[in-house]
Amino acid sequence: MDKAKVGVFLSDCGKQVSEILDFNAITDYVKKVSGVALVGRSSEFWRGKGLQLIVDSIKNGKINRIVVAESLPKLSEVNIVQAVENAGLNPYLVNVIDLKDHCAWPHRETPSEATEKAKAILLGAIERAKLLEPIEKLEFPILKSVLVIGGGIAGMQAAVDLADLGFEVHLVERAPFLGGLAAQAGRFFPTDDCAICIQSPASDVKTITHTSRKCVYRSGFSEIPNLNILTNSKVMGVEGGPGNYKVTIEKKPRYVNELKCVACDLCTAVCPVEVPDEYNARLKTRKAIYMNVPNVHPPVYVIDESFCKFHDCAKCVEVCPTKAIELDQKSEKISLNVGSVIVATGFKEFDSSIIKEYHYGDYPDVVTNLELARMIDGFGPTGGVIVRPSDRKPAKKIAFIQCVGSRDRRYNPYCSSICCMISLKHATLIKSAYPDTDITICYIDIRTTGRQHEDYYERAREMGIKFVKGRPTEISRDPETNRLIVDVEDALLHRFLELDADLVVLAPAMVPSEGTKELAQIGLESLLDEDGFFKEYNAKLRPTETIVRGLYICGGATFPKDAPTTSLHAHSAALKAAKFMTTGKMIKDQRTAVINEDYCGDCEFCPVTCPYGAISLEPTTEEHFVARVSDLLCEGCGVCVGTCPLNAIELRHSRPNQMLAQMKGLMSVNGTSKPLVLAICCSECGHTAVDSSGMAMMKYPANIRIMKVPCTGILQIHQFLDAFKAGAQGVMIVGCKSDGCHYEVGSQKAEKKVELARVLLKEYGIEPERLEMFNMVFIEGDKFAEAAQMMTERLQKLGSLQLMGGSQ
Amino acid sequence: MEHETVTSLAFSDVVASRLGGETVTLCYQCGTCASSCPVAKITERFNPREVIKLSLLGEKQEVISGDAIWLCCSCYNCQERCPQKVEIADVIYALRNIALNEGYIPNIYSEFASSLLNDGRIVGISKFVENKRPTLGLPPLQPTGVDALRKILFATGFDKLQKQEETS
Repeated sequence: MDKAKVGVFLSDCGKQVSEILDFNAITDYVKKVSGVALVGRSSEFWRGKGLQLIVDSIKNGKINRIVVAESLPKLSEVNIVQAVENAGLNPYLVNVIDLKDHCAWPHRETPSEATEKAKAILLGAIERAKLLEPIEKLEFPILKSVLVIGGGIAGMQAAVDLADLGFEVHLVERAPFLGGLAAQAGRFFPTDDCAICIQSPASDVKTITHTSRKCVYRSGFSEIPNLNILTNSKVMGVEGGPGNYKVTIEKKPRYVNELKCVACDLCTAVCPVEVPDEYNARLKTRKAIYMNVPNVHPPVYVIDESFCKFHDCAKCVEVCPTKAIELDQKSEKISLNVGSVIVATGFKEFDSSIIKEYHYGDYPDVVTNLELARMIDGFGPTGGVIVRPSDRKPAKKIAFIQCVGSRDRRYNPYCSSICCMISLKHATLIKSAYPDTDITICYIDIRTTGRQHEDYYERAREMGIKFVKGRPTEISRDPETNRLIVDVEDALLHRFLELDADLVVLAPAMVPSEGTKELAQIGLESLLDEDGFFKEYNAKLRPTETIVRGLYICGGATFPKDAPTTSLHAHSAALKAAKFMTTGKMIKDQRTAVINEDYCGDCEFCPVTCPYGAISLEPTTEEHFVARVSDLLCEGCGVCVGTCPLNAIELRHSRPNQMLAQMKGLMSVNGTSKPLVLAICCSECGHTAVDSSGMAMMKYPANIRIMKVPCTGILQIHQFLDAFKAGAQGVMIVGCKSDGCHYEVGSQKAEKKVELARVLLKEYGIEPERLEMFNMVFIEGDKFAEAAQMMTERLQKLGSLQLMGGSQ
Repeated sequence: MEHETVTSLAFSDVVASRLGGETVTLCYQCGTCASSCPVAKITERFNPREVIKLSLLGEKQEVISGDAIWLCCSCYNCQERCPQKVEIADVIYALRNIALNEGYIPNIYSEFASSLLNDGRIVGISKFVENKRPTLGLPPLQPTGVDALRKILFATGFDKLQKQEETS
């Protein structure tokens, strides 16, 4: 590499900085630093003439490393780096620092001390710049195809969006028919319309009107040429990585040819096998060859292989006019390569039979909301009549019980968020169809938080539906009449009630679906939260993304959701996937970890620690293996560096020698009477908290020296010792909040390391309180200023640090 | 409630810091405990939900001076069924301990206490019972070793609680 020729560019930010700092003294100082080839001064360097000076100096070969002191470096850096790159220099040889918010403003009352600190900041930056190395950009191909797992409303909506945008879409549904829980639930709040109504594709599909919503069976959905619908299919494996996931799918035999079946119903008429219909709450029977309801998609029968007698019977084969029934179909393995994956596996009802005192599964007249929905559905087993399952007589008195297994620390601590609305919807639908029905809803709190949702509650009260604030303790049954008795305290009236009811409807918690659990088992377990739902990358900003690029989540797979929210979620996931795949490639720089294979070997710390799964172990010989970093997955946080016991990993953009050089620079100039403190800040919350203290002109003493690292997780214990050796009297580690680390685990790792290091310091005879970790966010600039002040006072009390051999 | 009554929310912290009282703040007043309670079914003087609510609202005096907390029969029905895992019966024990420390103890309990101190038994044995035992084939009762027990009761300060009750 060429000898480093550093160009230092000092912006006075329109005199804001030079009014406080002695710029002439600083310029004179910097000129004398070895390796500095040029010092420029201007009122701004991120645009205009100032930036042109940087560009010209690169072009005429005067400089090959750049240090710019500019205000708001996190913004100005973008422009400077771009211009540097355009001028032909590697953009990672630039170091932009802040003399305003990190120096002049917070120390404006002690300008001479601030000037000395500015020298230290610049010296540190120059020494670091000299050691910077060029970093290359890599291009990764991304397949323009997507796997959508789950054919409920979330999956269908996301699939239509992406198919419309021209991506190749594979929609996989484990059940024989699309629609998921939604189709079974019948009608939706707040529109009270059918579940199977979906947004029509915008693609040019036959005669479909584009803007109008349609029932799924007439939506033209299945006619979209680049949408491949696989029902009765299960995802068996997801391997590979972003841009190229290798997916294996098992397509189970339907025994009915989808292309030949005309849904004429002759087969079900002759089928001799009758079994309870689970889909319809066991309130009716179905045949071994069946459809859930007549309006399903695909409109093709399926044979239930656990009940069909196959060739021993084969009556359906005989009657089928189109020869669609194929009893010898075998399950089929399908392998696909896709650029991204959308998980839309939904949720299901909690198994209420676990709560023994409610006798669900024991008393037939205790049903769940989903089972009630089947009764309300005109296509359902009772043709829309609400009956007592025990004797099929109309239910005249109905009691609902809310929060069955939800908001319950024994089962699911969370509020499922939709069950109040489901019960209100059901109660009002029943009351409008059968006004003489006596309905009581037992609730803990009624939660109707959505547009038009409160209307349901209001309408329910108008209709005479009764509300009892109280969670029933038990359901019992009168042995003579078989009527149910709900034992509940009306907490508002301080009265104990024994409500008698023909039918008790439980509103169970919504829990992760079987599909969600199965996906977890094939290697996605780390993406689940403590309740078993898929966890988003960031609830506020990335609600449908996961920590893995190219892997998106939406709908009920992430948490119980109503239909409008599920739709929103699906569209969001589709957009994120489209954004990821749209150019067919991803350009990513190599600001990543690099392994020194001479040192690395035979431990598993880094692959286990990496929050992004970017590190794998590969065998070198039969007995040894080394870590390999995927440049595609690595986010460049350095948590692996901090974990490696052998110093075998470094970040290209934050090597230990670069950090040490900067540290020494920062500690080389004192100029204050106060003890020097090195504040090592993460580039996210920590460093920005320092910014915000400066922006708000908060004051703290000039002995506080700021050093930025990608994440506090990169730090190793010896670096704390290095800091003391370099002349620091105290060390502050400033990172994100433990549970809000931008790199997931870095902050926690650093906390643990600081704790350990303090034990070690004590052994060395150094007061452990000279080292402390602080956690803060951007808006907590005041917290940083306070911490800096506190640390300074603490060190003044402790007195000067005596190291064996003296400090350097 | 009288206007000048100032409720102290810190009382819930006091309860939560006592053994058994830790879970009191989890309560969201669903009433499962009340409808599970066999005592509440027969008397309006006790409702576990209300005892917890009053404790959370800081109505210390009302809780510890009233007789509600002494009416719990410790069947633990409420605790078994509470969806928030509030250890209701144990919270009530914690409240009883607070009440006791502040000198509130119903007569029946102080009778138990003096019986324990004097005879080594919570419930005193009447001559009638003693005479009845042989007729039922039961052996005569053995002495309780009350001296050893009293040492423990003195060492743990139980006797002081007793005195406090007597003086109040």
